[in-house]
Amino acid sequence: MKDGASKYILKKRLELVVIYIFLGIVALTCILPLLWMFGSSLKTQGTVFSDPSLIPAHPEWRNYYLAWTKGEFGIYFLNSIFYTAVVVFGIIIVSSLAAYGFSRLKFPGSNFLFHMFLAAMMVPLPGSFVPLYVLVNNIRKVLLNFLTAISPQLAHIFPQGFVQQSNTFILNQVFPRGAYVFCMINVGLSLSIYILKTFFDKMPKELEDAARIDGCNKLGIWRHVAIPLAKPAIAVITIFNSLNVWNEYILAQLILSSKETMPLQRGLIVFQGMHVTDYPLLMAGMTMTAIPIIIIYLIFQKYIIKGITAGALVG
Amino acid sequence: MRGKNERMQAGMNMKKSFLKCFKSNFYFLFSIFVISTFLTAGCGGNSEISKPAVTISVWHWMTDRDNAFNELAKRYEEKTGIKVKFELYAPSDSYTQKVRAAAQAGTLPDIFGILAEKRDFASFVIAGHVANLSPDMEKDAGLWKNDFFSRAIAVNEFLPDNEFRVTPGIYGVPLDVMNIQMLYNKDLLKQAGIKKPPKTLEEFLAMGEKLKALGIQGLVSGWGEVWMIDCFASNYAFNIMGEEKVMRTIKGEVPYTDADWIKVFGLFKELNDSGLLANGIVTMVNKTAEQLFANSKAAFAFNGSWCVNVYAGMNPNLSYGAMFPPNYGEFPMKIWGGAGSSLLVNDRSLVKKEAIDFLRWLSSAEQQAYLSEVTKNLPANKNCLTKISPILSDFSQAMEATTHPNIWPVHEFPQVIEAFDKSIQSIIIGEKTPQRVAEEVQKIKERELQKRAR
Repeated sequence: MKDGASKYILKKRLELVVIYIFLGIVALTCILPLLWMFGSSLKTQGTVFSDPSLIPAHPEWRNYYLAWTKGEFGIYFLNSIFYTAVVVFGIIIVSSLAAYGFSRLKFPGSNFLFHMFLAAMMVPLPGSFVPLYVLVNNIRKVLLNFLTAISPQLAHIFPQGFVQQSNTFILNQVFPRGAYVFCMINVGLSLSIYILKTFFDKMPKELEDAARIDGCNKLGIWRHVAIPLAKPAIAVITIFNSLNVWNEYILAQLILSSKETMPLQRGLIVFQGMHVTDYPLLMAGMTMTAIPIIIIYLIFQKYIIKGITAGALVG
Repeated sequence: MRGKNERMQAGMNMKKSFLKCFKSNFYFLFSIFVISTFLTAGCGGNSEISKPAVTISVWHWMTDRDNAFNELAKRYEEKTGIKVKFELYAPSDSYTQKVRAAAQAGTLPDIFGILAEKRDFASFVIAGHVANLSPDMEKDAGLWKNDFFSRAIAVNEFLPDNEFRVTPGIYGVPLDVMNIQMLYNKDLLKQAGIKKPPKTLEEFLAMGEKLKALGIQGLVSGWGEVWMIDCFASNYAFNIMGEEKVMRTIKGEVPYTDADWIKVFGLFKELNDSGLLANGIVTMVNKTAEQLFANSKAAFAFNGSWCVNVYAGMNPNLSYGAMFPPNYGEFPMKIWGGAGSSLLVNDRSLVKKEAIDFLRWLSSAEQQAYLSEVTKNLPANKNCLTKISPILSDFSQAMEATTHPNIWPVHEFPQVIEAFDKSIQSIIIGEKTPQRVAEEVQKIKERELQKRAR
């Protein structure tokens, strides 16, 4: 009996050792690139490939200052924070309303529409570049015509210079930013609707009935019952989309034309020449850009498992 | 006290009624305003809100040249009053996406570049997106055109009866050029008692022993990226048998088992036997080769002119020079090279003339020398060689002896190129003899020719 128990304990311990070794290796493959990035950010262009140490003996902390100033990170940081916050907020609002609608409002073609949204996930972003660009450009032309037409009227009320400056501001700052935000919301909707609909489908209807008895209409139930219960799923959506928007650059480059409106990734390309890459500054810039997203991940990480196993926890 | 409260209450009521009145009227007035402006919107022209002075918009992908471009734009504005706005979109893949999307939307800037093969270049020209610069280039007995290396112009030119059916002409302004040569470390050669770089292969092979005795590696290159082997072998093929015979081989009229080709293959064996090739050169990527040469771990390198920029970053104190690969045959050696970056003028640009004038100014000797000095690229303008650094000048002087498979009249089968390059690797590691390699390559060539004949 004793022999059997000790054999069992030994077997369990061995299993644990194998699991921990496996997990350790996986963790190492995730952490090592980050450590290499950080270590390289403290080296010089001459030592980045010749010095094999992970953290150099004489760290070049100045690289961070140089990367910040040369890459003009200040304005790009603000832009990225703005885009990430607005896009993620927009995705949460639109996708939660749509998902709740798909889950609770049965109307003809609701399933078809939902599957259309799912199909949109399969369309790769580069495939929609040209139509998006043409669409944004045509909307800009309409806006330009509109502003040209209203300018004389506005000039009667406001000073001419103010009207011109406002129009330029709208065309060069507000419109491209708005267009980019709407495009990015569109990009993130499919997956977010899918996650939230799955969540709402498993939400007990009794909770909604209770809210209805208390006088809530459909929007009230969405606001006071569905959204608070969907916190884990919303956290997952927040992380996924924050990461997506923070690292996005291709669409930004397509839609935004002025340097002042570009996101953080624009700062990084300065260090990547056609033939020469300034690795220490690039790595310093990448370390700085990774920090906010790591913080967001750390804040929301406890919700990830909850969000993925959402159905089992609702109610 | 009571009176004060009543006054306060009355004040608040007044404020409420005013706000209510303002709100209802505001919405009404605003609706009328919006409707009227929408109705009149259709009458608006397509012009921008405020008409600025002439501004030329340039889209480019050259991250390392952005600051230099902006500085030149500032100088041009000071000189002419014309503002030039350089907009950087990188990396090159996303730049290409942007240019394609803009071409479809009809919103290309005044000046832009195309990072694609000549076929795509031709499609942009046919679609009317690119201005034909021939009239300007050819004016005054080709004054502008003659500023450039002929190879730089060739990339931007469509000849009569071209396969793409493009109206013959020059459609781009080259900004820089590049070529691939050999480099030598002056300090290491001095250390080995070698006074001047080798002119012939015999001299070069003799240096192998001297360098080996001192423990200095001979030649490094990115031969792990096989196209560089192809490039090196091609140089010697032209040198040993001449251009005509090389082309006849590609056409299938001369076999790879010909004595001259065996001599080309045998060259790699000789280099290896003399100890000149660095350890692991067969699998070496160019980045490693650059690192070794920059850190004075090897006496020779085979690399492109972009290396000047790379070495400056890795080791600014490196003392080195550029040289033609040592001569081995009777025919002139041809090295790989051609145009680097070029800019095109939008044929539909409202400021087309100003854009062409700006490019003419940008490609003139003074501006080219400045660009070359700051970005360490070879200038496309051959008249500024005296104004640039000696190493860049060394590289530039070889420009007229350059060639490239892209401009050859015939092209080798990819399967043959792959077998050719890999076989040379197996010669270097001692796995195969030059004779055997020649037979194997010829076998693949015949197989591909038969396939084509079917």
